[in-house]
Amino acid sequence: MSSKTIEIIVTPNGQTRVETKGFVGSECRDASRFIEQALGQQTDEVLKVEFHQTGTNQQQVRQGE
Amino acid sequence: MSHIVQIQTEVRDLVAVRAACERLKLPSPVIGSHRLYQGTVIGLGVELPGWRYRVVCDLVNGQLRFDNFGGRWGEQVHLDQFLQNYAVERVKIEARKKGHSVTEQSLEDGSVKLTVNVGGGV
Repeated sequence: MSSKTIEIIVTPNGQTRVETKGFVGSECRDASRFIEQALGQQTDEVLKVEFHQTGTNQQQVRQGE
Repeated sequence: MSHIVQIQTEVRDLVAVRAACERLKLPSPVIGSHRLYQGTVIGLGVELPGWRYRVVCDLVNGQLRFDNFGGRWGEQVHLDQFLQNYAVERVKIEARKKGHSVTEQSLEDGSVKLTVNVGGGV
């Protein structure tokens, strides 16, 4: 069972990189939005593979096992 | 991993500025009118070590005003340290407001890694 975490790397000059782990689909955006908004302006975003998984897909995978 | 976002830090939170100053053992920040080389600005003034003028945070637009004459009136590294500590404190404050626990770890390259446990996975 994976835990849900938000990892923030703050560089020596104060810039930040926010990465979500253990989330499925777009819930990661909702989870970390409060931190991103608190820190400042977003300059770049990369979506990981899990972002495109939905709850429905997961269920289908499990049923097929 | 689900998504990765890069953020340009803006300074908007008084409590986090105060906490950053405490971490760096700087004098408490002062709200008011501050003199820079070119004129006077209003905002939250932070006194950095060896800097001729205060760095003034405009908490409304998140921007900083300062005159360090390309490093001759104040070393950039002190400003960078302030911004790093501000960002760390801001994350911790916001995460705790949501009831999440946060762990802090110093990395070899001088970065600070914060891990916010959102829960729900247990």
